[in-house]
Amino acid sequence: MLKTIGVASLGAVTPKLLKGDVLKAPYKVTEETVHTDILVVGGGTAGVIAAIQAGRAGRKVVLVENGSQLGGTTTTGGVSFPGIHFAWGKQIIGGISWELIQEAVALNGDVLPNFAIPHGRQHWRHQVQLNGPLYAILAEQKCLEAGVSIRYYETPTQAVQENDDWRVETVGKGTRTEIVANQVIDCTGNAYVASLAGFDLLREAETQPGTLMFRLGGYDFDALDLDLIENRYKEAIAKGELVRAEFRGDIVGLLRTKGDNIQHIVGADSTTSQTHTLANIHGRTSLLKHLKFIRTLPGCENTVLEDMRTETAVRETYRIVGEYQVSHTDYVTGVVFDDAVSYSYYPIDLHIIDHGVTPKHLIEGVVPTIPLRALVPKKSKNFLVAGRCISSDRLANSALRVQSSCMGMGQAAGAAAALACAHKTTPLDVPISEIHQLIEEHGGIVPKA
Amino acid sequence: MAHLKTPPVNSVILAILSLVLFVSFRDNGRIRYFQSATLVEDADTVVGFPSMTDGIPDTLFQVRSASGLPLSYYKKIYTGVCFDNECRMLDIVLYWNITGRYLGFELPEDEFLSKFDHEPFSESEYERLHDLLADLLSPLGMYAYNELAPKPSIDEEEVDGITSATSKEILEYVVKGAAFTTYTLRTLVYGPIKDEVESHTRQALSEELILKILQSPDVSDKIWALGEVRERIPLSPKLRDQIFEYINNDSYSLAERAIDAIDGDELASDTLQMLLLQKFYETDYGLKKLILDKLKEAPQLDDKVKANLAENLKKWEGALLSNVLDLYIAQKVFDIETCRLVSELLQNENRYISQKAFNFLQSSGLNDEGIDKELKTYQMASHSALP
Repeated sequence: MLKTIGVASLGAVTPKLLKGDVLKAPYKVTEETVHTDILVVGGGTAGVIAAIQAGRAGRKVVLVENGSQLGGTTTTGGVSFPGIHFAWGKQIIGGISWELIQEAVALNGDVLPNFAIPHGRQHWRHQVQLNGPLYAILAEQKCLEAGVSIRYYETPTQAVQENDDWRVETVGKGTRTEIVANQVIDCTGNAYVASLAGFDLLREAETQPGTLMFRLGGYDFDALDLDLIENRYKEAIAKGELVRAEFRGDIVGLLRTKGDNIQHIVGADSTTSQTHTLANIHGRTSLLKHLKFIRTLPGCENTVLEDMRTETAVRETYRIVGEYQVSHTDYVTGVVFDDAVSYSYYPIDLHIIDHGVTPKHLIEGVVPTIPLRALVPKKSKNFLVAGRCISSDRLANSALRVQSSCMGMGQAAGAAAALACAHKTTPLDVPISEIHQLIEEHGGIVPKA
Repeated sequence: MAHLKTPPVNSVILAILSLVLFVSFRDNGRIRYFQSATLVEDADTVVGFPSMTDGIPDTLFQVRSASGLPLSYYKKIYTGVCFDNECRMLDIVLYWNITGRYLGFELPEDEFLSKFDHEPFSESEYERLHDLLADLLSPLGMYAYNELAPKPSIDEEEVDGITSATSKEILEYVVKGAAFTTYTLRTLVYGPIKDEVESHTRQALSEELILKILQSPDVSDKIWALGEVRERIPLSPKLRDQIFEYINNDSYSLAERAIDAIDGDELASDTLQMLLLQKFYETDYGLKKLILDKLKEAPQLDDKVKANLAENLKKWEGALLSNVLDLYIAQKVFDIETCRLVSELLQNENRYISQKAFNFLQSSGLNDEGIDKELKTYQMASHSALP
C-alpha cells in the first residue's frame, strides 16, 4: 500500500513522458583539469598561427577561443584582407600564414595580387582578398591536423603561475576548466590574459574606433544625385538624427563602398563581454539608423542590407608593457633588432574618429622588424603575447596591429613557446638562433641584420 | 554620350607608328606621348577589327609587323567629356600595348587638349596626363563619374569646371582643371577596349610571340604572357628554359605565374620533373609548396623524383613534410622502399611528424610485416601517452 502510494506520488511530480522520451538528470557544469604544453588564448589572426606552429613543432597545444570560429578580425570581423606580406617587391612574411592564404586563394579560384608592381600610395593593392569563411575552415583544419585541441566558447577568468606552470581557469558553455600549461601565449588582442596574470598594460585615453563590416545593395551608385544626398545627410546631422563621426562624415563613401570598412564606432572594445556587447549594439544601431535614412534618398529607396558581420571589429584596446617597446622611430627607420623574429610592413595607420585615416607610408626600402622582447610582458616568465597588444607606442602599434604582422608575430610566438617548453625555460632565455631556425624550418622569414 | 568618328586609315599614321615609340611632345605637329612597347619592330600593316563603343559601331586597329606579329593597337576617339557638353570635344587616338597595357596617346594635327575655359594643356600637364593614364593602380578607377559632377562652390581654389568643383581627394588623381578629360580617358584605356586588345592578341599567340613578350622590360607584360602559356602553347625546350628562369626567389609573382604556366600533362617528361625538383631545392618555402602541388598534376611521378624526396624526408619539418607525403598520396607512391623510409619517421619525437607518417602508412594499404609491426608499436605508444 505504502509502495503504491509512493509510486503514485512519484507519478504526481514526474512529468508525463511521451513514448521514447528519457528523463535526464539536470545538467551539471563539467569541471576538469587539462594539462598541456602550450596554451594559446584567442584563436584570431595571430592565435591560429601560433597554435599551428607550436603543434607542428611537436608540442601539445590547447587553443581557447571565446567565439565560434577561428580567424578573428580576418573572419568573424569581416576584414578578410590580410596585408602586407610583401615589401618593395620581396616577400617578408611567409610560413604558416602564407600557406593558409595560398590555399584559401587557390581553393576559391582567386588570384593573388601582382607583387612585382609597386603599390605606390595604394598599399591595399598588395593586400590579399580572401573568402573569410573558407579561411576559417582551413585554419581550423590545420589546427586539428597539427594536433591542437580547440576549445570554442570559452574564456579565461583567472591566470596564476605556480612554479614554472600557468594555471588558467576558463568558463564556457557547460564547462569550468583549469588548464595547466607550461607556456601561455595571449593572442586575445586585448592583453586580457596578461591583465589577469597581473602584468602592466597601456591604453590610450581615446582609442581608435572599431568598425562593423556590412554590405548594402539595391541601388545604382552611378545614377545617384550625390550633391542632393550630401545635403540631406548634412541636414540629418544638423538635426541630430545621425552622428557624423559614425561614417566619417562621408555618406558618398558609404554608398560607394557599400559599407566596406567605413564605419567608425567610438570606443569599441572587445576585451570583456560587457564592452564587446556595447560595441556590437552601437555598431548595429548606427547601421540601422543609416539604413533607414538611406532608404529615404532618391535612388536608394530599395536599399537593402545584404550581409553583416556578427561583431564590431576592434582596432585598439590594450597593449602590454613589454621587455621592449617598439617605437614609431624604430618602425619607420626599419631598425633590425638582434632578437628580431618577424618583419612587419604597413603604413602608419591611425584611424581618427572624425576624419578617417591618412596613412603615412614608409620610405622606400624600409622594412620594420619585430623583436621578441616586445612580445614578452615585463618581468614575466613563460608568457608571450602575439597580435595587436604587442608592446609598442601608439603610432608604431597602428602599423603593427595589421593582420600580416600579427600572423608573423603568431608564428614567432609559437616557435619561441615551443622551444621554451622543450628547454624547460622561459622564451627570452632560448637562444635566438634556435628560434630563428625553427621559424625558418616552418617556412617563416626571419630578419637578418 | 560618347560619339566616335572613324576616319579612314592613312599612310601618315603608319609612317608615324613605324618610329620608335618613346615619350615626346611634338612630332610633325602632332602631340604624342608613349611608353615603351613590348615589341619594337617596324610596322607593316594595319588591320581593323569591328568594335563597339557605347553601343556605336567602331573600329579597333591592330598594327602588325612584316611577319604578322601584333605590335600595338589604337582607337580613334571623338567624344564629349562633360555631362553638360560645355567642354571641347575630345579628339584623340589612344594606343594599347599588345598585352593590354596602356601605351600612349596622340592628338590629330593641330589638335590640343584643354581644361576649363578651353585653356590648352601645358607640356607638363600632358606629361602628367600620360603618367596618370599609365598608372594601372590609380584610385581614380574606384570613383564613379557622378563623383566628378559639379557642386556649387564659393571656394575658387576648388573650381575645376565652368561652374564646377572637383572633390579634393580626386584632385590627386587627375590633371587639375581637366578632371572629366582624365576620367574619360582612363575609363576608355582600362575599360572594355583593353579586354578586346588582349583577346585579339590571344588569337595571334604563338611560341615566338610569347618568347618575345617574355623579353619585355615591363614585368606586367611577362606576367601576362606567363598567364597565357598553360594549355595554349606547348613547352618547347626554349620556352621551358625561359619559364624556368623565373622560378627563383627574386620575384614571387613571376615565379608563381611561371610554375602555374606548366601544364600537368607536360610533366610526363622526366626531364621537366627533374628540373622542377632542382628548383624545389633552390626556392623559398612558399614556392616549394607550389612546386609540390604542381608535381601532383604529373601523370606519374618519376622514380628519381620519388627517391630523391624520400631520401630527404628526415630533413623536413612541418608543412613541407606534410606536402611531400600528400604528393606521394596523390601519386599513389606506396612502394616498399618509400614506405620503409616513411616508417622511420614513426620514431620522430615530434608527434606531428610521427602522426603524419602514421596517417600516410595507414592509407598506403601496404602489407609488410615490418611496417605493420612498427605501426602497432606506434599505436600502442600513442594510446599509452593519452591522459
